[in-house]
Amino acid sequence: MDKRFISRGLDRCSTPRFLLWVAPWFALLAFGVYAAGLCLVKGLNQTNMDNRFAFGLWIFLDLTVIALGAGAFFTGFLLYILKLKELRAVINSAVVIGLVCYSGAVAVLMVDVGQPLRAWFTFWYPNVHSMLTEVTFCITCYLTVLAIEYLPILLKNRKLREVPGFLVFEFELHKLVYVFAGVGTFLSFFHQGSLGGLYGVLRGRPFAFREGFLVWPSTFFLFIISAAAVGPSFIVLTTWLVEKITKKSLVRPQVFHLLGRISGLLLSVYVLAKTVDTLIWINRTSPGRGFAASQYYEWKPFGTWILFAEIVVFGLVPALILLAPRFRARRAWLVSAAALACAGVALNRFVQTVQTLALPTLSFDKFLSYTPSWQEVGTFLAVVAYGVLVYSFSFRYLVLFPEERELKRETRVEEPEPVLAGRF
Amino acid sequence: MTRYGMTIDVDRCTGCGACMVACAVENNIPPAHEGATDRTGLTWIRVFKVGQAFVPMLCQQCGEETPCVGVCPQKAVEVDPATGIVGQMPERCLGCRYCMAACPYHARYFNWHDPAWPPGMEKTLNPDVAPRMRGVVEKCNFCHGRWHAAKQQAVAEGRDPAHVEYTPACVEACPTKAIRFGDLATLPKPPGSVRLLESLGTEPKIYYRSSKVDLRAGKEPSRG
Amino acid sequence: MAKLIFLGAFYTVLVVVAATLLNALWRSIRDLRRGKTEHIRWHSDFHDLPAGDRACRHVLTGEFQHRECPNAFDCRGCQTHQHWVVEHPPREVPEPEEEIFGMSFPLNRFYHRGHTWARPETDGTLTIGLDDLGRRLLGTPDSIDLPQPGDRIEANGTAFRVRKREADVRVLSPVDGEVVETGAPDRDYLLRVKPIGGRFDLRHLLSGWEVRPWLLREMERLQLALSMEGAGATLADGGVPVSDISASYPKADWDAVCGEIFLQP
Repeated sequence: MDKRFISRGLDRCSTPRFLLWVAPWFALLAFGVYAAGLCLVKGLNQTNMDNRFAFGLWIFLDLTVIALGAGAFFTGFLLYILKLKELRAVINSAVVIGLVCYSGAVAVLMVDVGQPLRAWFTFWYPNVHSMLTEVTFCITCYLTVLAIEYLPILLKNRKLREVPGFLVFEFELHKLVYVFAGVGTFLSFFHQGSLGGLYGVLRGRPFAFREGFLVWPSTFFLFIISAAAVGPSFIVLTTWLVEKITKKSLVRPQVFHLLGRISGLLLSVYVLAKTVDTLIWINRTSPGRGFAASQYYEWKPFGTWILFAEIVVFGLVPALILLAPRFRARRAWLVSAAALACAGVALNRFVQTVQTLALPTLSFDKFLSYTPSWQEVGTFLAVVAYGVLVYSFSFRYLVLFPEERELKRETRVEEPEPVLAGRF
Repeated sequence: MTRYGMTIDVDRCTGCGACMVACAVENNIPPAHEGATDRTGLTWIRVFKVGQAFVPMLCQQCGEETPCVGVCPQKAVEVDPATGIVGQMPERCLGCRYCMAACPYHARYFNWHDPAWPPGMEKTLNPDVAPRMRGVVEKCNFCHGRWHAAKQQAVAEGRDPAHVEYTPACVEACPTKAIRFGDLATLPKPPGSVRLLESLGTEPKIYYRSSKVDLRAGKEPSRG
Repeated sequence: MAKLIFLGAFYTVLVVVAATLLNALWRSIRDLRRGKTEHIRWHSDFHDLPAGDRACRHVLTGEFQHRECPNAFDCRGCQTHQHWVVEHPPREVPEPEEEIFGMSFPLNRFYHRGHTWARPETDGTLTIGLDDLGRRLLGTPDSIDLPQPGDRIEANGTAFRVRKREADVRVLSPVDGEVVETGAPDRDYLLRVKPIGGRFDLRHLLSGWEVRPWLLREMERLQLALSMEGAGATLADGGVPVSDISASYPKADWDAVCGEIFLQP
């Protein structure tokens, strides 16, 4: 079996059982790759996107997934720059999640563009005024940084470590990890922001357009804050999920509480900033462009409920739950709040991408709707499958949760010996 | 250099669609693929029915803070500072469609399919206009090919190439002369002409006039 | 201008990332050339040990309350240890104890926390072997990879590699030295080493009265490891460990148990 590749002292399920777990994900991956392949070979007519819905499911999910993957840079920043030592317990898992999120997003982007082989044009003829150029540069650089941060985790595998070169390289790389954490933070700040800037600069779409600071619209800053807020929540969510699936205790409760508190704090800042921004937009920005904000919400599927849901139900509510120590201490409340926060960010990205395009601009425009085709859904399912597979293999053969071993010691010892009481 | 503009008298438009056909012929627009829908077709100029009126819509050649120019990550879109025409380079286009999201006039079209002409039809292609490939964006460019031809003619005849007159295909084809084209400075603009979405500050070069339908979305700019 | 700032920022980032990566690569090559692999292996392993297992030797003996070893168990360079030893000379045990918890720990040996011992010989060499607890844990090993005469071993580096059932551990060397002889099955030592340049430095090893408190702690750790690795709850009943402990716990993850005791995370 593959026990030689598994770290000492960690319990992992048997090899056949593991294969049983990965098999369906491989199948899903194969299906998704086929769907993506169709789009690459036959063209983007395989999707349901059209000239009015130039961006669809893929862009919405890309933005969501990148926001959720922000946990990687933010945890790195908190641990290596601000020295919050407890987060050592989740940094490896966060890096893997970040790597999966970003590489998946980039893969989908390569399918989404009409001419993927021309991707290098952005680097050769960069338009420095375009937010998308900024996104392209930053995300490419950051993906490289994430891959470099994954390398030490990979090289610490029990068998790989036997190779002296790998052992030594991992050691030297880890000594310099703070450099990568710093660079990662810098890059993430800009690309999370630019993804928001993508929509905030659209003068032609008054629904999305925002004023801001210098060249950066307010959405630039809102996206950064929301990504930083939801990163820790996503880590909470994924860690809890992995604990549930593997039936193991992987991090101490204090780590969950810390992540929840950080997320709650930033989420509150975000809700406040978003509220202010929305009020400015409703009262000044949009009317200044000649469009009363109320008219956007006249279209039935996107009524004001969506604004309320985004800011209150999926913003303020999880923020308050995460800030309250009593709620934060209860796992069910913590995880639910984290899930709500993640859903809120997804909703925000949806509003920015899909709702913006659905709304009319010309006086004779109609309100439009769009349903993704199975090829689009399939392509994204491939990313999900890819993520689960990479994470599963990483969890099995690498140490993603350094506290697992100590927690195993504590939970085993605490198990009381069953005492046979007298039978009545 | 002449800055070109257009006026469209919506009252005169009969909705015949001759402009659409002429544009497609002039600019080598491929025939629609099987499975193409109303929203995936390539119609650089397109006539909409708005109430009782017909409104031809095409690229407005925005002059100020052109929405599509700033957003292209590879500078595949440029505003010619002289003529004011917004040019698109299909060879550089990545197909990211950001410009399509940016355009409020929905004047940009994407090649969702591989352009293909039935056998024999390639003889009808216009040699002065490059056909585009799959996965890139295209749009009206005020028949740039005809402008180039007019300039060459002017040089051959010893006239000033900076000030030439030419006629785009749609203008030529329109039976009621609803669409007129020329020097933006001297082109007569019928009374009551408006530009679409003026409040966004895009400074389009096409003036619309209609007594039957109000084409303004949003308010007039407060500066007047 | 904007283009300059933008591209300047990116190329700076790329240069920083590339430079850092290359720096790590260059340092690694240098480390390999200088033979620092074992040194790095131990430091990396030490870093991964649980905090409780990194306790200073003076905590084991009760002299300090709380102290995590900052030197990866290399007391030879430790100022705190040197000062302490000068001010508090090791006290003599009234009666020499050769047997602790039923196991044999001869007084003429120096003990490494990884359960090897070093015995200075009259000819200036040192013999090295596995201590009694280590021997009982491994019983009759399935295989043992000893270094060859001429090979160098370093303190806290790998002395030899042992396999037993699913366990595969690198046993740590107590001293720096060059191997002159490997032990035979009938001898009580596994290796004989000679010093590299001068004399042996044994300050980092435990001896005399320090051994008992250390062993007490190790027995607790063994119990913990056994119960953790599926041996079922065990009770400290004061009994003596059997000569082949692994035979008594066929279901336990022997690799993990040995890893705990031989300081291999």
